[in-house]
Amino acid sequence: MALQAAVKGKLISVIGDEDTCVGFLLGGIGEINKNRHPNFMVVDKNTPVSEIEECFKRFVKRDDIDIILINQNVAELIRHVIDSHTAPVPAVLEIPSKDHPYDASKDSILRRAKGMFNPDDLVH
Amino acid sequence: MSSDKNECSLEDVCDLLDKLALTQLHLMEDKMRCELGIESSINNGSIHLAKSRYIMGQSSVSKERLPTESSPEFTASITCNTVEEDYVKQVKVIETQGGINPIHWFGVLVPQNLHKAKGIFQNAINFVIECVNINIQLLENLDNYNILLKHKNNLLKDVKEELK
Repeated sequence: MALQAAVKGKLISVIGDEDTCVGFLLGGIGEINKNRHPNFMVVDKNTPVSEIEECFKRFVKRDDIDIILINQNVAELIRHVIDSHTAPVPAVLEIPSKDHPYDASKDSILRRAKGMFNPDDLVH
Repeated sequence: MSSDKNECSLEDVCDLLDKLALTQLHLMEDKMRCELGIESSINNGSIHLAKSRYIMGQSSVSKERLPTESSPEFTASITCNTVEEDYVKQVKVIETQGGINPIHWFGVLVPQNLHKAKGIFQNAINFVIECVNINIQLLENLDNYNILLKHKNNLLKDVKEELK
């Protein structure tokens, strides 16, 4: 890891289950800014999908966030919103959780990348 | 003469398309390797969080201990920065010293497992950055491939018209 105290970098935000959030915040990515807005959201089984969607959209709009980490099972709940986000910044990374292993067939970036090998395109 | 030039150019474009497709496959493999690295780090870290919970009590290592909107402001000790090197965008980790130690949210005398969990999740952040860089390359590669594919189709049309 580069040590550059003088440079103020962009944030890594996280939307996920309790262990994912606690873990990554322990790692040091957590922040509460001047407006008292956190860069993380803990999702449990009672969290409404609309709240997750709203939080994701809020993180996308924030210009101090460069990376949004989201558990793949949570991303599945708001798949339409994630698929509609095609801008390179903030980068959205779907990560596995302890209860839900990584499934490459669900990853939005990999599905887009696989589009290159679409048989219809290869015929040309 | 013009036909030769086109065919030569078409051959170059096809070669480049093959190279891009191969690069894409390698990048996809790298991405999956990175995601598995993140998965393994999260699993190991979660085991240490569970052990800490066992030692300190169920609610001691939970979301209740995380800062909320009413907590005083603090800055992240690990952030990232996007730099462009040789026309390639890359995300790099910036570690800022002197911030708060997140371990103190869970107490002063915490078990060794919590320190281990912290180290493991910090390692997961490195995998995350690597994975984000691969994602950027995957998308750039895809854009380049689509542009070249269009160019190839145009060249094919020209060749067909010349043959007529």
